[in-house]
Amino acid sequence: MLKATPPRWADRFLSWYCNPELLEEIQGDVYEIFARTLKSGNKRMADVAFVWNVFRFFRWSNIKRTKRSQQTPHLMMFQNYYTVFKRGFFRQKGYSFLNVFGLAIGIACFLLITLYIKDEFSFDRMHSKADRIYRIHEIFEADGVGERSASQPFPLAEAIKNDYNGQVVEAVRFFNFQAPTLAVATTDNTKEFNEARLFFTDSTFFNMFDFKIVKGDAKSALSNTHSIVLTQSMSQKYFGDVDPMGKFLRFQGNTNLLVTGVMEDVPPNTHFQFDFLVSFQTLKESYNGQLPETWYWNPCWTYLLLKDPSDAARLEAQLPAFVQKYFPDFIRNDVTLELIPLTDIHLKSHMDYEIQPNSSITTIYVFASIAAFVLLIACINFINLSTARAAKRAKEVGMRKTLGSERTQLVTQFLFESIMLTLLSVVFAVAIVLLTLPLFNSFAEKQIEWTNLLEPFYILLLLGLPLALGFVSGIYPAFVLSSFRPITALKSNASQERGATFRKVLVVVQFSLSIILLIGTGVAIDQLNMLQESDTGFTKENVIMIPVSRSPIANVYEPLRNELLRNPNVIEVTALEEILGSKHQVGNYNFEGLEESKPFPRLNIRHHFLKTFNIPVVAGRDYSEDIVTDDTLALVVNESLVKQMGWKSNEEAIGKKFSTRPNRKIVGVVKDFNFTSRHQPIRPLVMDLNLNPRAFDLFIKYMAVRISKDDVAGTIDYMQKQWKAQMPGWPFEYFFLENNLENLYKAENKMSKITLIFSGLSILVACLGLFGLSTFTAEQRKKEMSIRKVMGSSDSEIFLLFSKRFFVLILIANVVAFPLAYIMMKQWLGTFAYQVDIDFTLFILAALAAALIAFLTICYQGFRAAHTNPAEVLKNE
Amino acid sequence: MKGTYIGELEELVLLTVGVLYNDAYGVAVMDEIEKQTGRSLNISAVHAVLKRLEEKGLVNSQMSDPTNERGGRRKRIFTLTAAGRKALADANELRNQLYNQIPKVSLQFQA
Repeated sequence: MLKATPPRWADRFLSWYCNPELLEEIQGDVYEIFARTLKSGNKRMADVAFVWNVFRFFRWSNIKRTKRSQQTPHLMMFQNYYTVFKRGFFRQKGYSFLNVFGLAIGIACFLLITLYIKDEFSFDRMHSKADRIYRIHEIFEADGVGERSASQPFPLAEAIKNDYNGQVVEAVRFFNFQAPTLAVATTDNTKEFNEARLFFTDSTFFNMFDFKIVKGDAKSALSNTHSIVLTQSMSQKYFGDVDPMGKFLRFQGNTNLLVTGVMEDVPPNTHFQFDFLVSFQTLKESYNGQLPETWYWNPCWTYLLLKDPSDAARLEAQLPAFVQKYFPDFIRNDVTLELIPLTDIHLKSHMDYEIQPNSSITTIYVFASIAAFVLLIACINFINLSTARAAKRAKEVGMRKTLGSERTQLVTQFLFESIMLTLLSVVFAVAIVLLTLPLFNSFAEKQIEWTNLLEPFYILLLLGLPLALGFVSGIYPAFVLSSFRPITALKSNASQERGATFRKVLVVVQFSLSIILLIGTGVAIDQLNMLQESDTGFTKENVIMIPVSRSPIANVYEPLRNELLRNPNVIEVTALEEILGSKHQVGNYNFEGLEESKPFPRLNIRHHFLKTFNIPVVAGRDYSEDIVTDDTLALVVNESLVKQMGWKSNEEAIGKKFSTRPNRKIVGVVKDFNFTSRHQPIRPLVMDLNLNPRAFDLFIKYMAVRISKDDVAGTIDYMQKQWKAQMPGWPFEYFFLENNLENLYKAENKMSKITLIFSGLSILVACLGLFGLSTFTAEQRKKEMSIRKVMGSSDSEIFLLFSKRFFVLILIANVVAFPLAYIMMKQWLGTFAYQVDIDFTLFILAALAAALIAFLTICYQGFRAAHTNPAEVLKNE
Repeated sequence: MKGTYIGELEELVLLTVGVLYNDAYGVAVMDEIEKQTGRSLNISAVHAVLKRLEEKGLVNSQMSDPTNERGGRRKRIFTLTAAGRKALADANELRNQLYNQIPKVSLQFQA
């Protein structure tokens, strides 16, 4: 009707900004006015009025907005997806719970283990110069016998810094008299303790390490002799709230040390933990005014600060020449020096005489694989349940398609749902982690903060994982279901099982992993028991060890021993160098047939050593108190040493000469026993009688008392009384050898505990999955079962039919798992000197356990399938 | 609550919707107000007021059949709701009540 049209651009502008719901009426009105004005004859006026009106309508209430109700259809659908998801979620509470909970447990396990691993890798990285700090190790071995020492001779630090000043900027030593504990007291003796974490260190300590000093001057705190720096908690322990600066602490009952600094407590993730640092100069007093100059005794842990990390290789290449230049002739050819980066020490250094026991990288590998396994199991579970559940929605898909859903929309819908579910699980997982972290910390002996989860790695993981997993688990049903032809989906009951093979494969993988974990846990526990409980070759029960090093015991040892033996419950008393079964020292011995002396593991002992520990003599004799020359002219060795020397029999060894001095002979050979932990095989050992009273300064560190198992408390009381009588004012401390030796396998113990818990959880998760799957299958085959029943199948037949397929899966899982588990376990056991034989009953047990748990899980559904009244199911046809 | 109070322009538009009965849409309301009161409003203002009245529940609306003069576009026809009628009655009553209370004298003086 209109002869002329309003300005096109204005019209377009209107339709562009206008809310589509309002467009028609608004456009209608402006057109009407335009037509009317036009009728009055003025096209120009009409145009102006039109444009004017269009602009006047351009107001907030008319503008298109992304309010939900006004979104484009595509985005609008999300609201619908969400509603459908919510309804589905609550309609099938059981499924949803299994699905979300199972995944949450899996993710939580994964998070906890990665937190643990991350903590292990964070060791010693807090120092700004960490990448340039190296520790220097001394490997002192001939024919594989000797020591691999983490520590160095006193003069090495000085020498290496002078000789290689182009590469070595700083050298810092630590020293603790090789004593298990040292006595510290306040000057008024109100507080006295034996401290295990006291070290002497060079004044440059604070230049190399970034430990924070809160009081005092880091540069000069350790410069002067008789200075001590202590941690805040030690300050609290000895001085309470009083400022300790300028006060004195009494060291070993005879030396006063001036407190020149207080530092923050050492963080838990450093490989050496200490409470006190004493200036190195102080040591001069203990060694006649100057530091020991020997290159043989190597008690100082020595750290080097290099100019550049790349200098390490260059320096290492020069070390053989360095050894030749400084080390004494008789060991020169047996010594190799090695550098290890500070940051590697915690996980990779397993030398003799570590400052404190380290972790091992193997454990990390084991944990990492457990974490991966558990997460994988949980993910498989999730995929399985999601796909199974999605198949039930064929009808919905058919309906949506009929109503015009595009395929991309359906795919989006399923992806949306699975991502929602995974997000939900992540939320639960984080909640679980937050709740269980304190518990986990207590048995993993860590102090991991939950704030670690806020690091980018975890944020990324916690967001990325649901997206990835949601995508993977959603993609399959999304594409399978969206490909349904609506007519097929709607007409039949669509009970054909989609993706059954896929799910079966996943179940097999899942159970294989669980069975591998079960077997692994079993083998690990077996191995641990073997290490801990097998016969070490000496009596460790009811042996009380009393640290005596650097105590005034030298003069009263014999009287004290005699007093102790008067108690009928005290069976035998001796003294020795190290904790038997845990540690030893090394000495150079020249046996008949050797061209020069070689290093051999050594223990200095007092008389009655063999009797105290029940170590049998296989040839010759024990040291005798009646033969006073035994101290110098006689030596007792073990069988391994005889073998190492190539002597034909133990008897032949008797009378062999040792040392180049005349008349020194081996007088006895004892049966081999584990004088170190069973991580190592038994090596040659020399048991050297040392009756020199000064030996108690360094060579004899413990008194060992074997008592009868009756009235242990009374006996200890008696011992304490005698101790106090002989050495008034000296603290009596003791420990049981057996308990101490358990610490040797602490790492394995901890690991098997953690493995056990997590493999248990993985089985739980796998079962949740199986339960969900069996429920689903039961549902699907309801009709089939009912018809079978009507046709005369018995309950048991139906039950069998139902559960058969699951057992086939478990069987296949076993077949897959056994060889894999065997190979993995062989590898792990390869890291031990003593290996437990892999017990094949373990495999059977694991298989049975998996089958039993699976059986119990599907039992419920199987039983239900067998017992439903067919009429109930079939009446709906 | 929003809607318990109606403004002057709202009252005017509401009255007009009542007057126009079944033929109250944007342009018609605008024309009627101009004819009756001489006030010339912009069409967008009328739309805004109508929308506000609808939000307050005083008028209802539905789309009419398409007509030729608007290029086949439909109109949105507004009708009074019960609440709308009541609002008008209330406003009217209040006005009368107040008017009646004005002393005669003041009226006379004004005249």
